[in-house]
Amino acid sequence: MNRLQHIRGHLLADKNMNIATTPPSPLTTHVLNTAQGVPGVNMTISLHRLNPISSEWYLLTTGKTNDDGRCPGLITKENFIAGVYKMCFETGKYWDALGETCFYPYVEVIFTISDSSQKYHVPLLLSRFSYSTYRGS
Amino acid sequence: MGSSAKSSSPITTHVLNTGDGVPAARMALSLHRLDPRMAIWNLLTIGNTDEDGRCPGLITSDAFTPGLYKVRFETGQYWESLGQSSFYPYVEIVFSVSDADQSCHVPLLVSRYSYSTYRGS
Repeated sequence: MNRLQHIRGHLLADKNMNIATTPPSPLTTHVLNTAQGVPGVNMTISLHRLNPISSEWYLLTTGKTNDDGRCPGLITKENFIAGVYKMCFETGKYWDALGETCFYPYVEVIFTISDSSQKYHVPLLLSRFSYSTYRGS
Repeated sequence: MGSSAKSSSPITTHVLNTGDGVPAARMALSLHRLDPRMAIWNLLTIGNTDEDGRCPGLITSDAFTPGLYKVRFETGQYWESLGQSSFYPYVEIVFSVSDADQSCHVPLLVSRYSYSTYRGS
């Protein structure tokens, strides 16, 4: 077998192993540590949806950001219905793990999903004394 | 509330409408402090921003003790009063005060689809 065939064999083997890939979450986030110019790695985040009748928050998902500051698989397309959502970022614990204090013990971003067929990106740009968020793509 | 209390509130805010490049006037907001034992938020003050997007007299020096505070900005209502929708029904900024001798400026720069805040002076 020549070298090209050998490589092709490896690529096909990987594709076979990943047959049952789940579709990407329609809601994504990205945490950036703007003070140090790096992704916000290993930050605990949680996603909640508001029950409009009881006015209580229902916990949907918890996770930690990966090495790129992202947290795939936040919600499935089926669960992603119109409503008010809250993403909670454990910013205090994040900076604590880096040996620093933070003005914000946590950050909660509350947003409205009116059209659940669209994709929504809710990033957090964070330093010890500031943060920003926007609706991205 | 006397004028001396208004000029010396140790917590201040300033809301800017970055979508239109103007102060966010007449936005309702409220200040809360966390009761750590009960784990509930106590409402301290409600108010509205003035024409300059500020809300003097949020708290007196005497009432300003170390702890966790929250300012809730009624951004959704604000944009609605301008005939526009917004991604955020409201914005809550939770911050930690360790030294009650220092002032805390907690501004909000907001558009329909973004907002930012920082610890200012």
